[in-house]
Amino acid sequence: MTLFRAVCGAALLVASIDEAALATTQNVIFNGTIAPTCTLVVATNGTMTASPDLQSLSSHNSGGSAGTVTLTTTGGVSLSVDPVTTMTVPSADSTSTTWTPTYSAAGAHAIGETGSASSITTPGADLVSVHLAGTKGGSNRFANGNYQATVTLRCE
Amino acid sequence: MKHARILATALAVGLAPIAAKAQSMSPMRGEINSFTDVFAVRVFPANPYDRKIRVEIHVYDQDFQPVDARISPDIFQLASQASRSVLVVVPFDGAAERKVRICTESIPFPNQQTQIRAQICGKFFGRRKS
Repeated sequence: MTLFRAVCGAALLVASIDEAALATTQNVIFNGTIAPTCTLVVATNGTMTASPDLQSLSSHNSGGSAGTVTLTTTGGVSLSVDPVTTMTVPSADSTSTTWTPTYSAAGAHAIGETGSASSITTPGADLVSVHLAGTKGGSNRFANGNYQATVTLRCE
Repeated sequence: MKHARILATALAVGLAPIAAKAQSMSPMRGEINSFTDVFAVRVFPANPYDRKIRVEIHVYDQDFQPVDARISPDIFQLASQASRSVLVVVPFDGAAERKVRICTESIPFPNQQTQIRAQICGKFFGRRKS
């Protein structure tokens, strides 16, 4: 009888140990997907000034300044500027002007000044400088008055 | 037609992610299957600035020509750090599939000499199922 009790007790003990072992580990799996995203925050607008010969009105000229934009992205996007389509000029200016928007970026990605689209493949934040230059050819000159342009900076 | 729009809207809801703050627009990519003559996308423009801005939503094709889509709402004021949903319903115009860009545009500092329009565009591909 004693032997029978010992055998039963041992069997129960082994069974309970086995049950406990089966319930000790479970994996919890986490998945996450980040789609390409982009944030543009305009910090400052630009200022254009005229060159001494009055044939250039540009943010590159002395006293001019670029517009600045903070770019934050996951990567997998492209950055570009659109041609300037609408421009406010003083009534005294009746001659044609060629407008050239450009941009450059410094920070996580180094993009030299360009007017073309740039592919950004890696994540990070940048300070984007946006320039606008207007030029007149021949004997044409910029006139007295207010000029205003809008440059579209696109992240897609 | 009403039922078709409801179905397209329902498909768009399935595509929509949880809106996130400090993004100008999400999502920026998407593929939509539709059983109707339109497909719908729900996007979430956000205002990362510390003040209210005016936001415009535009839809363009691959050549940046405007697309006659229904945008609700297409122009609105967005409070600082806020985000809201915008429903865009794009017609297939008889095609079996269509690629469009949905763009969030804003000029945060208007009325200055050289102002910058920030434009965030998402690329979306609609496929019509028969």
